[in-house]
Amino acid sequence: MRLIVDFASEEISFDRVEILRSQGVPHEAEVSENFERIYEGATELFHDLAELKGIMSGIEVSHFEEVFRGEGLNEKENPVEDVYRKSSSLALFAVTLGPVLSEKVTELFDNGDYADGYMLDSVSSYAANKLAELAAQHMQLELAVVEPSTSQRVLCYSPGYCGWHISGQKKLFEALHPEEIGITLNESCLMSPIKSVSGVLISGPAEIHKFVNSYPFCNTCTARSCIKRMRNLTIMNAPEDKYGTT
Amino acid sequence: MELLNQISFNLQNGFDETVVELTKEAVKKQIPPKEILNNGLIAGMNVVGAKFKNHEIFLPDVLLAARAMNGAMEVLKPLLIKDGIPIKGKIVIGSVKDDLHDIGKNLVAILLKGAGFEVIDLGNDVPAEKFIRVAIEENAHVIGMSALLTTTMPVMKKVVDMAKDEGLSGKVRIIVGGAPVSKEYALEIGADAYSYDGANAVETVEGFFAEGS
Repeated sequence: MRLIVDFASEEISFDRVEILRSQGVPHEAEVSENFERIYEGATELFHDLAELKGIMSGIEVSHFEEVFRGEGLNEKENPVEDVYRKSSSLALFAVTLGPVLSEKVTELFDNGDYADGYMLDSVSSYAANKLAELAAQHMQLELAVVEPSTSQRVLCYSPGYCGWHISGQKKLFEALHPEEIGITLNESCLMSPIKSVSGVLISGPAEIHKFVNSYPFCNTCTARSCIKRMRNLTIMNAPEDKYGTT
Repeated sequence: MELLNQISFNLQNGFDETVVELTKEAVKKQIPPKEILNNGLIAGMNVVGAKFKNHEIFLPDVLLAARAMNGAMEVLKPLLIKDGIPIKGKIVIGSVKDDLHDIGKNLVAILLKGAGFEVIDLGNDVPAEKFIRVAIEENAHVIGMSALLTTTMPVMKKVVDMAKDEGLSGKVRIIVGGAPVSKEYALEIGADAYSYDGANAVETVEGFFAEGS
């Protein structure tokens, strides 16, 4: 399986509460009219400027072992290794929102429109993560076509998180070639366009994705997204419920 | 004074164009620039800072106020220089070499400007040599560095080491921040301070000047 997918910006549904939380706004807090205007403006800009693309490529476990090993800098114990060894199938992936959104954020900051720039950046970061989830759902649908009764759950894991060292991007790029959709990697393993996500889509029964987040690096993790991901495993959409509720 | 209260009020609400107009009006009425700055603009930013700390307003509101502050400072800055009023402090800031993340660094720069500091923003992907060269050329008091990747953090140590070699220790304070950076890392590389967010960075830099930069 090797796919290049153009996603529509409408496929990203924004969770206002979560985006506002990323701006430091607690749940149910009242925000100013200015704040509301800025949020609405940022989501409109997103739909105008986003160019969502994704690339996915199936990979054998034996090959992925080599990709995952990367430059040999992964944490000795990490959940990704435990999860992928129990998987039923794997696919490398990369998704991007395209370069224009990031350029717009820079332009807004340069013009002194700090609040608008910051909100557009938050909206874009949220959307990039959602796009990675869409890629996972895409793989889940592909699997459902092959095996309609599948109860597989597909989750994405990325270099830089969960003990998979960021330098793992090098081998991942060598195997996947996200340059085909305009994503490049610099010496520091940073992707450009900056609002891009890459990693591996791991498919298997929901249970394989569950782990206790008590690894040494969990203490310094600022993402903590594993908690919500694991909680959602039980309520995640079934394969036939295309891009449904989570 | 009513006009200065109006400047403060409008700044708190992020009405940048009104703040600039009122500042021009205050200059025209020959209110001393330092008084406009302290009793209008900084007074307003102090209220904004307090409300932000109490979660009564949020970062976008602070950024709107900062935009108003910066607009008014464009009007006042030449007059403050003419009057020989010293700047609060000069900070050279940037995201380190090979790091293209700049949102956090931008926020810190904006909040520092809003607090009355002069900020020289070098942007992102800044080589260690450039931090040092600009700090020397500009007689900066503080170097601020941001890194969002573990692979780019070592540049911070390079800057700290180069600052020592150039005899800047004690003269130029170094503050570091960014998602993978920690207080322990700052200590380990010999930086003067670590900040976890923009508001904390302002407090930390204010602290440098309180203890005598």
